[in-house]
Amino acid sequence: MSSENDDAWPIVHVPGRPPVPPEQQLTVNVVAAQIEQPKLTNTIIRRLSQIAPLEDLHHVKRVKKNCLEGGKIQLSVILCLAPENGDFDGIPCDVKDVIGSYQLSPFVAKVCKYAALSKEEWVEQCKLWPTSYHQPTYNISGITGFSEEDSQSIVSFMKYALELSKSHGNVVVNAAAIVDPLSNQVIAKACDEVCSWQTPKTEVGAECSSSTKSSPEMTGCIEHESCLQRCSSGGPQQVETSISCLHPRWWVDEQTHRISSFWHPLRHAAIVAIESSAARDRRLFPDVRYRDEATREECILSPAKSQAKRQKTDGTDVDNDDKNYASHGNGDLSSKPYLCTGNDIYLVWEPCTMCAMALVHQRVRRVFYAFPNPSAGALGSIHRLQGEKSLNHHYAVFRVLVPQDILNKAKTSITGS
Amino acid sequence: METDNIASGERFSLEVLGFMQLAIDQAKLALDNLEVPVGCVIVEDGNVIAAGRNRTNETRNATRHAEMEALDVLLVQWQRTGLTAAEVAEKFSACSLYVTCEPCIMCAAALSIIGIKAVYYGCANDKFGGCGSILSLHSSSSEACISNGNSGSKSFKCCGGIMASEAISLLRDFYERGNPNGINGDQPF
Repeated sequence: MSSENDDAWPIVHVPGRPPVPPEQQLTVNVVAAQIEQPKLTNTIIRRLSQIAPLEDLHHVKRVKKNCLEGGKIQLSVILCLAPENGDFDGIPCDVKDVIGSYQLSPFVAKVCKYAALSKEEWVEQCKLWPTSYHQPTYNISGITGFSEEDSQSIVSFMKYALELSKSHGNVVVNAAAIVDPLSNQVIAKACDEVCSWQTPKTEVGAECSSSTKSSPEMTGCIEHESCLQRCSSGGPQQVETSISCLHPRWWVDEQTHRISSFWHPLRHAAIVAIESSAARDRRLFPDVRYRDEATREECILSPAKSQAKRQKTDGTDVDNDDKNYASHGNGDLSSKPYLCTGNDIYLVWEPCTMCAMALVHQRVRRVFYAFPNPSAGALGSIHRLQGEKSLNHHYAVFRVLVPQDILNKAKTSITGS
Repeated sequence: METDNIASGERFSLEVLGFMQLAIDQAKLALDNLEVPVGCVIVEDGNVIAAGRNRTNETRNATRHAEMEALDVLLVQWQRTGLTAAEVAEKFSACSLYVTCEPCIMCAAALSIIGIKAVYYGCANDKFGGCGSILSLHSSSSEACISNGNSGSKSFKCCGGIMASEAISLLRDFYERGNPNGINGDQPF
């Protein structure tokens, strides 16, 4: 992360589960036993990993090592998860055999349920039972920190989204920009269209690159941010309610719609942006299926194996897919981009549940937002879809903190000391 | 508010089964068009007033689920006849949706934003379901905790398991053929 000077825009990862204070770790009970003959440790572990693998506890070390007084070392091993009722009769037979043949004396121990998200958490976890801690190493750049170049690009796209959100005059709305990080281009942009529904522009793919766009004057930007922040922290109601994701049901009370224009309660910025990126996709990669009956047949008959492979793309193999994506260039089915795979979206406010799930469906790679949505946010505030294991796709979520935040904090810390 | 998952259709009235059959017809239409076969109808006063089916492959927009299609039909139609937002909200609050598969998290959230009265669905959606399987958006109304009227979401009555085996067998047909574009609709597999 870049240094915390006044004009820094820190980019903070929003993890799939809420961070837990180190001392409040969730634990699960396991059955463990001391190993009296250290020579047997490897044999016992090998046997146990076959008959009682610790499926959801990969972060927990199987063996705990205690140094006793006089330099003697005491080893304990996790035999299996503790039976639900705590009764050792519930221990699987294979494990009982191990207990019997090595004359072990089982006891119940507590281990941490989830892998540590920080070093501090990890230190605390190990007091209970040792766990391993890895700096997250997903192939999604950013979770371990962004390069200076990436940070600059992220901040410039967030500035672009902030600009968009105030493009409606006095009314502040949520804004979304879908970006192809390979070409550094905005491929779709949209604002909330709940109150006045404009027909989608046919030429959305203007391919405006934020890097060529002169960045807004810093002072003007900060003024705008403070306005945005006022309404994100409960400013004038009229302004606040225009942000669809914050108050999804306000459309019912909406009085201002003109008879001549459409309104639509579900046209939140993210939904409109997805629609516009899909339109761009159809335009750049015309669907051969609907033109060529032979190809159509082929599509039905072939089990689409190669495509199935591409479908499996989730957060963990984005890099591979980027290569596929980079190779596109014609309307050929095999090189056609798959939805928004590999793309990022920049939103001014944390999306509501509908929008967050829409972004899962469209296979967005990373979501960046500036302000949390305490009333309806689904990426950390009310729900945390990025941590819902059952979903078939998971994006990484980041909050980009606008400098006004830092300035305020800096001020209070100075006056406070 | 609870979601009833009933394996057999015995329990349901002929009226409910009749509307679900129409939703299944929509799902078949989706299948014929190489889309994930999920379909729905919206019912007001015992009459079907809108129908929808998945169009995710055709549009390359993975949010174009059956429910979203059907809601759009009504929103356009009712505004053409000059209804205000409040009038549209009132109409939706008297409508029921019949859909072959449990609405996903996105659609369940959308239905709660729209303020639908009730949802009747076929098979459950173990991966994305927003009406009990993964999240329970039909019963987690946030309206109560916000004093200022229509700010949060609205809960709706939900009932599942209606002709579920028919809905599942259509989805099986589809995945046995292979999903041509691989864009998932509301599907439980």
